[in-house]
Amino acid sequence: MSKKQSTSVQTPHQYKRFHWAQRLAHALLLVSFTTLGLTGMPQKYATAGWAEAMVKLFGGIELTRLIHHVAAVSLMLLAIYHLLDIGYKIIVRRSRMSILPGLQDLKDGLQAFLYNLGFRTHRPQMARYTFEEKMEYWALVWGTVIMGFTGFIMWNPLTSIRMLPGEIIPAAKAAHGGEALLAVLAIIIWHMYGVHLRRFNKSMWTGKLSEEEMLHEHPLELADIKAGLAERSIDPGLLRKRRSIYYPVAGVLATAMLFGVYGFVNSENTAITTLPPSSSVVPVYVPQTPTPILTLTPETQPPATALTWDGYVGQLFQHKCSTCHGVSNAMNGLSFATYADILKGSYGSLVILPGNSTGSVLVVKQLAGNHPGQLTTDELDQIKSWIDLGAPER
Amino acid sequence: MSKLVTTMRKPWLAVNYLVLGLTAAGLAPHRVQPAAAASAPGPQDGDNTACLFCHSQSGLVRLLPNGESLPLTIDASHFIASAHNSLGCVECHTAIPAFPHPEFKAGSLREVSLLFYTTCRQCHQEQYDKALDSVHQKALAAGNTHAAICTDCHNPHTQTPLTDVKTGRLLPEARLNIPQTCARCHNAIYEQYKASVHGSALVGEGNTDVPTCIDCHGVHNIQNPTTASFRLYSPFLCSKCHTDPVIMDKYGISTQVLTTYVADFHGTTVTLFEKTSPDQVTNKPVCFDCHGVHNIQPVNDPQYGLAMKQNLLAACHKCHPDATANFPGAWMSHYIPSLTEYPVVYYVNFFYKIFIPTVIGGMVIYVLSDFTRRLIERRKGVRHV
Repeated sequence: MSKKQSTSVQTPHQYKRFHWAQRLAHALLLVSFTTLGLTGMPQKYATAGWAEAMVKLFGGIELTRLIHHVAAVSLMLLAIYHLLDIGYKIIVRRSRMSILPGLQDLKDGLQAFLYNLGFRTHRPQMARYTFEEKMEYWALVWGTVIMGFTGFIMWNPLTSIRMLPGEIIPAAKAAHGGEALLAVLAIIIWHMYGVHLRRFNKSMWTGKLSEEEMLHEHPLELADIKAGLAERSIDPGLLRKRRSIYYPVAGVLATAMLFGVYGFVNSENTAITTLPPSSSVVPVYVPQTPTPILTLTPETQPPATALTWDGYVGQLFQHKCSTCHGVSNAMNGLSFATYADILKGSYGSLVILPGNSTGSVLVVKQLAGNHPGQLTTDELDQIKSWIDLGAPER
Repeated sequence: MSKLVTTMRKPWLAVNYLVLGLTAAGLAPHRVQPAAAASAPGPQDGDNTACLFCHSQSGLVRLLPNGESLPLTIDASHFIASAHNSLGCVECHTAIPAFPHPEFKAGSLREVSLLFYTTCRQCHQEQYDKALDSVHQKALAAGNTHAAICTDCHNPHTQTPLTDVKTGRLLPEARLNIPQTCARCHNAIYEQYKASVHGSALVGEGNTDVPTCIDCHGVHNIQNPTTASFRLYSPFLCSKCHTDPVIMDKYGISTQVLTTYVADFHGTTVTLFEKTSPDQVTNKPVCFDCHGVHNIQPVNDPQYGLAMKQNLLAACHKCHPDATANFPGAWMSHYIPSLTEYPVVYYVNFFYKIFIPTVIGGMVIYVLSDFTRRLIERRKGVRHV
């Protein structure tokens, strides 16, 4: 372990910079960060055309969110690994905490900027981590903390607001989006320029830097290495003793943190698996009663005053029959215009047999239906009664 | 018999008119409405007098086999006022060209309507075709004879013009009658609508700013409103009016309701589904899940209004049964965060509005200075120190 981690000279011109585990962690971070950005940005700008196209590409919004969540969990696991790794370096190896920022970094930054503007003759001479690298590292730490915290609130809204007001949920969403935009832009500008554009720094993949690169970027570290100050040697016995303390503690911490992640993901389901919304609460088909009918309802006849030709029957026949069987056009020789006409019948054959309604042709015709002038059931009953009474005139 | 033919000579003229009418309908299917509106019954409409000879008699009914009576009286005064006043009876009643009438097959009032309604397509082909695509026609095809057909909404003998002849737009008085028309079959929904903020304005005050049935459901090609796609599209139905300042300013209602909904988690999801997979079933709420469908109440209604926190919580509980009392605070109630409304969210946004340009701007300035410096050094052939 100690040999592998050493930054001692590999070849005359190659200096080991990153351990394979660090490089793997970086590669995983690259994948999870990129995935989070690619799946998150379309959610932040959901109404934009490009966002829609990207969501479609990821297989819809639900799948986009699932991918985002998986990448988020990966990032959380990476963060746990990183914390344990730092713990190992601090507690077991007692390494220098060379990534910690200090006043010198501020001075270096200022000097670099002034040099670029031509106000200084030299670039700052920097150690293992330049101010640019430290800035990026701590931005990542800050960002991950913010994103984890706000992500938890959005993932577990009910748990989050047990102690806090509901408003923190949209506030967390706003912060998550703002921080994400900041992180993505910072990576595009700071990281891309610093390690890809200015000079392609491959050390995060090869693990090594050449002597020339070391001289340009980390001259103070190079000097330390050459002076034999970079690596502190540790007594193997002491190392074993520290490990025997750290490993169990780290195991407990790791378990606790993994439970934390499990809780993060699984503690709350209500916001995810919700009840299906209820459908219409009233029945759809409820016709009005009485059912509206196609054409106008015929006027109802006033009830008979007296069941005689003069009292009722004459008016009824005038009203319903005289268009065809009236004075002007006695169809089939039949006219209902006067009492005498109706008793005369059609071409000599009687249509009314006073006292015998069932034998009267008029009643038979009407009962059979399909006569152009049709009496209602009530009217026909009245006529039948009238005939049975002897068809009185008055 | 010869006497009958002599008496009923006029119906044969009507048949001639029918032939002419059909030809005209085939050539110009849309001629009917303008013609109906433009011309009073002229001499050629004398054809109808043959039919009205009998059918103007009041009390003319026919007993149908199922015991219902079919009224056969045509009220001439209503018919003359109708959009169809220039039409001959037989133009629609093509199966009854003369007297004596052919055998009548309908066993019930419903069967009468079902026998005759397809005649409308002679002139109203466009509307008829649209209706073929409707939920009513689908129900009818599936055997539900209650399903609405042309004549259930438009009584052909009394229907007055519904649209403005010049603009083709629905007349305001026609809008007022729409809910009553739908209520003939959907009375329970009508009762809900009548008591709603929209329905009470229309029915009670005659306010035509509010939506009637057709504004959301369409007219002839009415779609099934219980499908996933209708649900996903529904926010855009509401926002047709609710993002229109011309209407909303009158009532002091925000026109930001759609943008604020879309900006929220629920609305974002629904909008994306609507765009990327319109048939997606989702439990994310749309407007009507919180505000109601036909029974929408004003937000300040003490019993149902969502501005009352307990009512909003009840709405949340529909999907989040274990939501706590402060949970509704997570929904910004269509507000855009400001110093007075949702200030925490406002401050977060404000922070990033300042913080992002500051940080990124600083980075850009440094990167540009570094880039320029190195470019100059390379030009000069200076190996950087």
